[in-house]
Amino acid sequence: MRTRTLTPPVNLMNRRHTSVPPPTGTWRLGWTLAGRDYAVLIDRRACFASLGLLVVLLAISLLSLCLGSLALSPREALAGLFGHGAPMNVFVVRELRLARLVAGVATGAAFALSGCLMQTLARNRLATPGIVGIDNGATAFAVASVVGVGVSLSPPPMALAGAATATAITFALASDVGTRGYRFIVAGIGVGAVFGALTQLLMSRVAIDAANSAYPWTVGSLNARDDVALTWLLCGLAPGIVVACYLARAMRILRFSDAVAQGLGHRVRACRYVALALSVALAALAVAVAGPVGLVGLIGPEIARQLSSHRGVPLIASALAGAVVMVAADLVGRLLLAPIEVPVGIVTAIVGAPFLLWILLRPAPRFQS
Amino acid sequence: MNSPADMAPPLVTRQLSLSYGRGNARRSVIDALDLQLPAGQVTAIVGPNGCGKSTLLASLARLHAPDAGAVLLDGRDIQRLPAREVARRLALLPQDTQAPEGLTVAELIRFGRQPHQGLLRQWSAEDRRVVEEALTAADLHALADRPLEAMSGGQRQRAWIAMAIAQQTPLLLLDEPTSALDLGHQLEVFELIRELAASGKTLAMVVHDLVSACRFADYLVAMLEGRIVAAGKPSEVVTAELVRELYGVECTLIQDPATGSPILTNIRSAGARAN
Repeated sequence: MRTRTLTPPVNLMNRRHTSVPPPTGTWRLGWTLAGRDYAVLIDRRACFASLGLLVVLLAISLLSLCLGSLALSPREALAGLFGHGAPMNVFVVRELRLARLVAGVATGAAFALSGCLMQTLARNRLATPGIVGIDNGATAFAVASVVGVGVSLSPPPMALAGAATATAITFALASDVGTRGYRFIVAGIGVGAVFGALTQLLMSRVAIDAANSAYPWTVGSLNARDDVALTWLLCGLAPGIVVACYLARAMRILRFSDAVAQGLGHRVRACRYVALALSVALAALAVAVAGPVGLVGLIGPEIARQLSSHRGVPLIASALAGAVVMVAADLVGRLLLAPIEVPVGIVTAIVGAPFLLWILLRPAPRFQS
Repeated sequence: MNSPADMAPPLVTRQLSLSYGRGNARRSVIDALDLQLPAGQVTAIVGPNGCGKSTLLASLARLHAPDAGAVLLDGRDIQRLPAREVARRLALLPQDTQAPEGLTVAELIRFGRQPHQGLLRQWSAEDRRVVEEALTAADLHALADRPLEAMSGGQRQRAWIAMAIAQQTPLLLLDEPTSALDLGHQLEVFELIRELAASGKTLAMVVHDLVSACRFADYLVAMLEGRIVAAGKPSEVVTAELVRELYGVECTLIQDPATGSPILTNIRSAGARAN
């Protein structure tokens, strides 16, 4: 039988227990509930990095609400956002720019979170859904549903099916290595090339109108968003972020070799499957909204890792950095050659290519043997 | 307190059979092997390359599921125990110790507390005390905030053993803990292993060097082609015949005048005997 009453000495003892000095670089949040001690460690640097990225995201978001063919002051933009001010301003901010901003934030966060998850589970910074062909698989299937090849599903479920197919094929080709090492990446690049060709083939076989409506999916753009697809993405992203927060602790251990992780009692296989499923689903849902802007999945986590602590896997910081990159790239694309719009996929490709080269060519990280 | 020798062996194999690969590529490595790790002692598993000693160690640590037979941890089938439960009783230092970039010694050792922690129980007074103790045991206090990459091989290996110490397990398995270390660093690691045995832990290690195994182990298990060909006190089981059987080399055995453990001298290939 458990006693419900707590005597003062127990309480005092608990209070002493909850003030354990935390390890360097962390805060310890301790509390006592029903006679048991609980504590959560918060990594200071990771916390500051995420807060900083959040501030940058808010700033760039405000900027993207202000700038465009109709330039608004921040005050006008904020007034318009809350339904005040000139009707024209309200319309531009709420109907045109806000929806686009939400799409940018959601797709950027989804791509980058997806990228960070896959990089961690494959223990390789090149292993992002954009590079291992998962984006291309999702794109091919989404395009197929738009140009109409006898399949009547809407783009999001088609993109999910495409991403799952590409992942399954890549895994089958890389067989015994699992998600490890270059074999997985090389197989993924091959699978991605096949799906890319398939997309081109689909585009060339249909009437020009149908091809035009599918064009956004082939370059990556926030201009022709589908509201249904955006709803799918938001419904996937919200629980995805919760799962990612839960996974963050387990993902730290996944960075060790499998034998070390298993020796610590970690269920490596189960954790990797959950992370992979989440990564593939987020990439697919983001592709259904904006097309393959996969390089955000490479740039976002890289920025997050530079800013955040080496102690953990910066899942939340990656999502925030991805959102910043996506919104910024879209803003640049809208303004650079105005009134002509440069698709966000092209902007991120121009920025992302040097990043990719840097990752490929920089000195190999020193892992211990 | 009972002396360690009176205690039941904490880790036992019963008719253990292990194999590698799948389908047609399946290759049997170990067949119906019986082994007991003596409590509170250091067991060294030796044998030529490919004799199955590392596979056996992986199986003892629950990383390799058997085809038949079982590994019993405190009398219970290790495969049926939850992973966390096993990690609280048995720590492993594998050969492949890849760690995240930038991780410091203290941070690595903290990971050893993982099996005792939870999502909402991340850092207790107990965790702090145990990590401090592990730093002391491995003599790493001065290096606590040094990144692993910036340390010597011996220091790094001591840091990994300290992580295993922080797991607070009565059992510790080590897979070639001194491979790729020079003589001084090897000694550093072996001395730490002896200290852990003196503190009451049961240890088992796969070792390549027979002389080191004789010098630092209480119990020697010699394996050949998946079988145990000899097991017992090193000074009793190591003979010139055993060395020939295991490695195909001739040698003369003498006793270390300082420690009494066997030393191999005049090593030559078996064919050279005819000359």
